[in-house]
Amino acid sequence: MKKFVNDPQQFVPEMLEGLALANPDTLKYVPEYNLIMRADGPDENKVSIVQGSGSGHEPAHVMIVGKGMLDAACPGDVFAAPPFDYVYETTKMLASPKGVLLLVNNYTGDKMVFEMAQEMSSADGVNVKTLFINDDVSVEDSTYTIGRRGVAGNFFVIKAVAAAAERGADLDEVIRIGEKVNSVTRTMGVALTACTPPAKGSPLFELGDDEIEMGVGIHGEPGRRRAKMMPANEIVEELLTPVVKDLPFGDGDRVALMVNGLGGTPISELYLLYGQAHKRLAEQGITVGRSYVGEYCTSLDMAGASITLVKLDDEIEGLLNDPAEIPIRVF
Amino acid sequence: MTATDLADVEYVVRTLAQTAVDQEKEFGDLDAVVGDGDLGYSLARGFEKVLADWDNFKRDDVATFLQQVAVAISSRIGGTSGPLWGTAFLRASMTAKSHDTIDGAAAVAMLRAATDGIKARGNADLGDKTLLDALVPATDELERQIQSGSDAAEARAAFAKTARECADATSKLEAKRGRASYSGERSIGSPDAGAVAVAIIIERVVSEWPNR
Repeated sequence: MKKFVNDPQQFVPEMLEGLALANPDTLKYVPEYNLIMRADGPDENKVSIVQGSGSGHEPAHVMIVGKGMLDAACPGDVFAAPPFDYVYETTKMLASPKGVLLLVNNYTGDKMVFEMAQEMSSADGVNVKTLFINDDVSVEDSTYTIGRRGVAGNFFVIKAVAAAAERGADLDEVIRIGEKVNSVTRTMGVALTACTPPAKGSPLFELGDDEIEMGVGIHGEPGRRRAKMMPANEIVEELLTPVVKDLPFGDGDRVALMVNGLGGTPISELYLLYGQAHKRLAEQGITVGRSYVGEYCTSLDMAGASITLVKLDDEIEGLLNDPAEIPIRVF
Repeated sequence: MTATDLADVEYVVRTLAQTAVDQEKEFGDLDAVVGDGDLGYSLARGFEKVLADWDNFKRDDVATFLQQVAVAISSRIGGTSGPLWGTAFLRASMTAKSHDTIDGAAAVAMLRAATDGIKARGNADLGDKTLLDALVPATDELERQIQSGSDAAEARAAFAKTARECADATSKLEAKRGRASYSGERSIGSPDAGAVAVAIIIERVVSEWPNR
C-alpha cells in the first residue's frame, strides 16, 4: 500500500503542522496537545465549541475549525481517542466565561476520556459540559461502542451549536440545540473497500473484491451485513430505507440530505448517489431543503459513502444557513 | 489534616505505583487469558509517570496531591484504564477535601468514592467481573472492621484477605465489561486480571505498612 508518510508515528503531527502552515491567519497549532484552535480564540463573549475524536476522519474535525464552526479540535492518533491530558489542557485553554461545550461521537474510549476531562476541569472551576452524538442507525452496540455510533451526522450538530454560540446563546441553550439536532439526525454508511491506517500499512479488515459492508462504521467496524456488490441505486435503497424508517421521516418533511464520501470515492460517484437519494425522497413526499455532497467525515482511504438525513424546522435551518469560514469549505 | 495523613497517603500511592511497575509482566499474563493482555503494560506506563512526576507533585493537602496523581495516571494510560484509574483518584481526592483527618472512616469514604467513580465512568457494577468485585467487598469489610472496633492492623489484614478471596472468586463470573467481555462464557474459569491486580496491590500495601 503506497502512502504519503514519513514516520508513521508522526503522521498526525505532520498533518496538523501542514494544516496550520496553510492557514496562518485563522488557525493556531499547539503541538504539545495535538490542538488546532482558532487563532483569535478563545472568544470570551461566546461558548467555546470543541470536538475531539481519533484522527483519520478528516476533514473532521481539525479542518472544520474556524469562525462559525469549531473553536478547537483535539484529535488523538489515527482511530484512537485523544489522551486525557490533551483534552484536559484543551478544555482549560478554551475556557470562556460563557462556558465550553465538548462534542464527542459516541465511542467508549472517547466518552470516558471526555467525561473525565469535563469532571476534572469542572473541579478547576471551568464551566464545561459534554454532548454525545449517535446518529448511526446501522447497529446498536458495536466494536467500540455501547449504544449507537456517532458518524457523519455530527457535522450538523457542530454547525448548529456553533452558529448558536456565535449568535451569543448561553451554554444551556447551546446544549438544547445540540441535543435537538442530534435527535433528528440519522445516518448509514457502506464500504466498498477497507481502509489502511498509516502505522499499520495494510488494510484494517478483509473485504473481497466483489463484496461490500453495509452499515460499516467509520473505523471499519462491522455493520449489518456483508453483501455482494450491486448497482448504485440498489445501494442507495439499502442505505436510505433504514435511515428514513428510523426517525421516521415522512410525507411533508423537509430535510437536509448529506452524501458523505468515506475518503476513497470520487465526488462524481457521490453526486450519482445524491441524485438517486434525492429522487427517492421526493417520491415519499420528503423535500430536500439543504444538500451536502462531499467529504465530511471519512475513514482514511476507504471507498464508500454514507447518507445522512436531518429533519429541518425553521430553527435548525436558520442555524445551518448561518455563515462560517473553515479551511475546507466556505458556506 | 496532619503531616502523618499525607505521609500515609503518599505511602499507599507509592506502593501501588511501585507494585504496578514491578508486576507489569504478571498483570499482563493474567489479562492475556481472556482480555487483550494490555493491563500490565497500561498500568506500568501510567504509574511510571506517577513515579517520574513524584517530586513535582504539589503537597498542599491530601486532595491536591491525589488530584495530581489522577492527572498523571490518566495522561499516560491508553484505552479505558486511564480514565478509570484517573477517575478513582479524582473522586478520592474530592472526598478527601471534606475530611479534616484521614482516619479509617475517611479511608473507607475515599475508597467508596473511588469505586463509585469507576462504576459510573465504566458503566459497570458488581458481578460484571471487574476490579470492583475485589475492591468493593474489601472496602465493605474494612468498614465493618472499623465499626466493630478492631485495631488498625486487624482491619488492614481483613481488608487484604477479603480482596484476595473475592478476586479469586471472580473465576466463577462471566465478563460483562471491557475487552474480556468479547470472550463471553470463555471468561468463566479464570479470575479477572484487574481484580487480582487490586488484591496483589492491597496485599503489598498492607504487608509493608509497618515499615512505611
